[in-house]
Amino acid sequence: MSALRLLAEQDPGELVEGLTAVGRGIVYGGAAIGPGIGIGIVVGNAITAMARQPESAGVVRTTMFLGIAFTEALALFGFVLSFIISG
Amino acid sequence: MLGLEFPPISELVEWKSFGPGGLNKVGLIYVVSALLTIAFFMTAVAKGRKQRVPTGVAAIAESSVDFVRNQIIMQTMGTEGMVYLPLLATMFFFIFFSNIFEIIPGVQFPANARIAMPIVLALLVWLIFNVAGIVKQGPIQYFKGILFPPGVPKALYLLVTPIELVSTLLVRPLSLSVRLFANMLAGHLILATFAVLSAALFSASISIVVMPFSFLLLVFLMGFEILVSFLQAFIFTILAAVYIGGAVHPEH
Amino acid sequence: MRIRHCFAGIGVAALSTVAFAAPAFAAEGEGAEAELTEVQEHCIHLLEAGGDPEDCHEAPSPILPATNELIWGSAAFLVLFGFMWKFGLPAVRTMMQTREEGIRSDLERAESAKGEAEDLLVEYRAQLADARDEAGRIIEEARAAADSMRRDLIARAEGEASDLRSRAAEDIRLAGSRAMADLQSRVADLSIELAERIVERSLDRETQLALVESYINQVGSK
Repeated sequence: MSALRLLAEQDPGELVEGLTAVGRGIVYGGAAIGPGIGIGIVVGNAITAMARQPESAGVVRTTMFLGIAFTEALALFGFVLSFIISG
Repeated sequence: MLGLEFPPISELVEWKSFGPGGLNKVGLIYVVSALLTIAFFMTAVAKGRKQRVPTGVAAIAESSVDFVRNQIIMQTMGTEGMVYLPLLATMFFFIFFSNIFEIIPGVQFPANARIAMPIVLALLVWLIFNVAGIVKQGPIQYFKGILFPPGVPKALYLLVTPIELVSTLLVRPLSLSVRLFANMLAGHLILATFAVLSAALFSASISIVVMPFSFLLLVFLMGFEILVSFLQAFIFTILAAVYIGGAVHPEH
Repeated sequence: MRIRHCFAGIGVAALSTVAFAAPAFAAEGEGAEAELTEVQEHCIHLLEAGGDPEDCHEAPSPILPATNELIWGSAAFLVLFGFMWKFGLPAVRTMMQTREEGIRSDLERAESAKGEAEDLLVEYRAQLADARDEAGRIIEEARAAADSMRRDLIARAEGEASDLRSRAAEDIRLAGSRAMADLQSRVADLSIELAERIVERSLDRETQLALVESYINQVGSK
């Protein structure tokens, strides 16, 4: 109850600002989940491949970085989106 | 709470212009990195002509050109992609040098943390791979290859065609520019955060105990950002090569 | 050693980070303040023109490209691209090519020199073998010559010896026959003489004997 009253007494602009900050955090946090798992899968499989065939490590490494770049792009979209969100 | 005054982001990435034509720190970094690359190659060529076995600058220049040639172009386009060597090498060095200013003391700002140049470069790549595809395959064949990729059941075109259209013509330049921009911005923010944190902990009396950890992490992150600077230049260039190669050789 | 250098570099970089962070930050602050005043001026202009006060608070989003950076960055990129296209990469390529050719020609030269040396070696070996054969042949010839000469000498010596011997035998034979002839003539003379004497003086037996005896003695003493 007191929290609601506190909110009600606040300046609406500040409330929006605070909620924006929370939203930014949620956006970036949510956007980082999937790529986090994805990068884990990419790197894990790349390491398996390198361990199985050390002679093809160079090609695997290049492809791994490409895969990471593609996967990471999603997290970065979230990162950028969190800047776009503004009060 | 902690007495930590974290500056707002606009203060960290926006710079007042001080020169003609709105030249500010970011523009200056771009100019300096272009000049650095030029000086680097001039020195390398001047030194390398006299040497039997290249050492120092000449060896670095040669091996980096070899790197662009063998690791980026040969892996994605093959020998006929050598036409794009000047463009891709320029991109690689330009992006790398403007990134590496992230950790140069006294500058400490990756110019690509401002979205202007990443957008320009991504649009350039977009333009080049489209033009190359149209010139090589003819406009009808090229857009048919994009919109109706072979080997897909007819019914699926309803789903595939819009996705391909968006992903090739829209998401590619967007992701290319945003990847570079966001990586460098994030790196800059992380470094700034830990620098501010280290400074704050240094000034506070009791929390100086944990200051070394924050500081060590800062040191580690600086090393990491060197890697990121290189990696982003590499990834930007290799993706540009992949896109151009894909437009020139539709079967890959 | 390199790792130590690396660590030293990282340490220096980190220290300078801290050292520079504060001034950089301060500068940023000042810059921001200056920007703020600029923004305020801009705001005042806007307000004077009868704009909305809300416009003043809008900070430029970090997502939007700044025109000045775009211009300068593009200019720098174009200059660099022109340089790399026209000068940098061709120069590096020619540098690498000239070195490659230099190394290749060196290798070829070394290869040919090696071939030449091998040829020369073969030639020398052949010459050496020839010389050895020659020497053997010469020795053989010399030996043969010496042999034949010896045989010659021996034959000649033998011939001379047999010559000498046969001449000696001839001499002896001649001497013998001459002696015999001499003896015969002498015996005949003596016999005639003896017969003359015997006939001259018919002697008694004892005188005869004494005569023969004396004659034989005479002949024997001769």
